[in-house]
Amino acid sequence: MLYGQPHIACHECDALLATVAVPPGKKLVCPRCNCTLRKPVRDPINRGLALSLTSLTLMVPAYFMPIMTFNMLGLDAVDTMVKGVLHLFQSGFWWMALLVMFCSILAPMLQNLLLLLICLLVRAGQYGSVLVLLLKSQSRIRKWAMLEVYMLSILVAYVKMIDSGQVHIGVGMICFTGMLFSTTLNVVIFDTQPIWEKVGRYYGGVHEDRPL
Amino acid sequence: MKTARSEGLVMCHDCHLLVKQSTAGRGACPRCGSGLHARIPNSISHTWAFVVAAWVLLLPANLYPIMTVIYFGEGEPDTIVSGVIKLAEEGMIPIAILVFVASVAVPILKLLGIMLLLFTIHFKWSLSKTECTVLYRIIEVIGAWSMLDLFMISILVTLVDLGSVAQISAGPGATAFATVVVLTMFAAMSFDPRLIWDLQEESND
Repeated sequence: MLYGQPHIACHECDALLATVAVPPGKKLVCPRCNCTLRKPVRDPINRGLALSLTSLTLMVPAYFMPIMTFNMLGLDAVDTMVKGVLHLFQSGFWWMALLVMFCSILAPMLQNLLLLLICLLVRAGQYGSVLVLLLKSQSRIRKWAMLEVYMLSILVAYVKMIDSGQVHIGVGMICFTGMLFSTTLNVVIFDTQPIWEKVGRYYGGVHEDRPL
Repeated sequence: MKTARSEGLVMCHDCHLLVKQSTAGRGACPRCGSGLHARIPNSISHTWAFVVAAWVLLLPANLYPIMTVIYFGEGEPDTIVSGVIKLAEEGMIPIAILVFVASVAVPILKLLGIMLLLFTIHFKWSLSKTECTVLYRIIEVIGAWSMLDLFMISILVTLVDLGSVAQISAGPGATAFATVVVLTMFAAMSFDPRLIWDLQEESND
């Protein structure tokens, strides 16, 4: 143990480790519990900006354009993500509608919006209290964005209905797939730790306390 | 192995800054302003509360119908389990397995897993700490997959909205099941995995 050196603690097992510089593409793993502690990527802020903008753009058609259309005996029904939620609200299942809306529409949207704003603020050198609030919010909302589960639900619904009538994949589905990829990539490559370190420097050099 | 706690340091839950226990006594992280705690406060009792509530709600979630499919005015309400059986009878075995895993196996195994971790901490069982941490990680990741059924219902109610020919509607079981999913997610979030490793520190002392 190198005393007086900067240290980090593993957030899963509390092991205390001396920090080392991790080059992009490599990852730092906790020697005790194997949890990934740092995984830096090259140029995270610009990549974050690009991916957030891509996701937010694709979100509009993904939410409002048809995911699937169902045809049976000449009758048509169109499903969009927003319509699905509204339908549940109208039939009185407001609690379930709220949950579905939050996990599939609001949380992914907020997640991308927060990452976009964080990247913009970091680029502009604004490390004040607004950035602190955004960083905290994004880490809390992370677990509630469930786009990949929604993707699987679409596939299950598709397979389920394919014998009863004709099911067609819509434009919304294509946009949704693209958005799923860009959002997932965005969340995976985003690393809050270097930004927190800059925030610390901004507040007159708040340093980590080190073991004596 | 030195830990932050054994060296008198507290890690901020939000920004992961290490702060000396003596300065942490003042309560707020100097970098992000969040409250400082060595471990999530009341982690065990909060987790227990969510787990017990989730078990209770699993009953209405499985006893009440979650979905009704009506073709030409005919159709019966389905519970989670009867829906899975129907899928299997129609020959859609992979889909049946998928829905079974997401709606039946995941919530139950998740609750049992969290209870195993809670009991391990309470009775100081000497299970492998690494395996317990892996279990915790699995619990954290699989939680969201229970939403599969609920998302599917929200898709199907609009997709199969053909008036008197075919209609699908949600049932009261879905409301209970949605609450179960939320409660199990809160249970996983309020559990502090560092408590598992604290056992090792205590046994070393």
